Amino acid sequence: MAQNHEAQFERILDAPKERVWKAWTDPKQVANWWGPDNVTIPECEMDVRVGGTIYIVMLAGEAMGPFKGTRWPMKGQFTKVEPLSRLTYTARAWTEGQGPETQIDQITDVTFEDQKGKTKVTIKITITNADTAPKAALQGMSYGFNQQLEKLAKFVATKH
Amino acid sequence: MDTLSAIAEPNRRKIIQLLAQRGNLTASEIAGHFQSSGPAVSQHLQVLKEAKAVFVTRQAQRRIYALNPEPLHELRDWLFDLTNQWEQRLDKLDSMLSKEKKDSNSNKSQSRKGKKNGSKS
Repeated sequence: MAQNHEAQFERILDAPKERVWKAWTDPKQVANWWGPDNVTIPECEMDVRVGGTIYIVMLAGEAMGPFKGTRWPMKGQFTKVEPLSRLTYTARAWTEGQGPETQIDQITDVTFEDQKGKTKVTIKITITNADTAPKAALQGMSYGFNQQLEKLAKFVATKH
Repeated sequence: MDTLSAIAEPNRRKIIQLLAQRGNLTASEIAGHFQSSGPAVSQHLQVLKEAKAVFVTRQAQRRIYALNPEPLHELRDWLFDLTNQWEQRLDKLDSMLSKEKKDSNSNKSQSRKGKKNGSKS
């Protein structure tokens, strides 16, 4: 039985909505912050309109040890574009050179809210192939080991 | 049912947390922590067992439930990665924006030299 799973992240950024929107929609700027630690972004394409392509490749750097040189592309389409307030895309992420077992399908919904000149960003991720995704993520990328079960529970929720 | 779906249900999540905190428990000890009926609890235990989130051993007449760490660790690592990735991303975005703000503020105060105080926001 496959069900959807959601994780949500929020952050208040000290910049007006216009600025934050630009940081999320200009591919050059996205490439600056998209890669987590030890990962660079050699390719980034953002055609921000409904039906437009989002394509971002993450490349594992030196410090990723055995993963060094691994490419993790993510490709999809924008499904909602409401300038300055909302960005939704569906995408598939995978490990280059490996089979479908590394695929993770997700819907990412990003909203921007003004908070007295600052911007609250809320990112909601829905994993739509949760039956296989945890294994996929493990094969592609695993560099963390310390989360407590309570935190796990907090992030796990069934979409009804 | 996959492990993630199995433990997403709040009652089952509570069972997982109980087992994580208290170690091995019998079905009736687990049921003691719930308002709902014994059969409802044992149904949840059955789902958890089928999803391999817990395993059962028998001692005389009693069934003892314990966490099955393997699939839970996999899930934990997976969610940790997802969380970690987004937290790091947002950290970087945050520092990119605040650096920019600092730079533009110091430019402002440069150009407004002589005026009383640059605008503070």
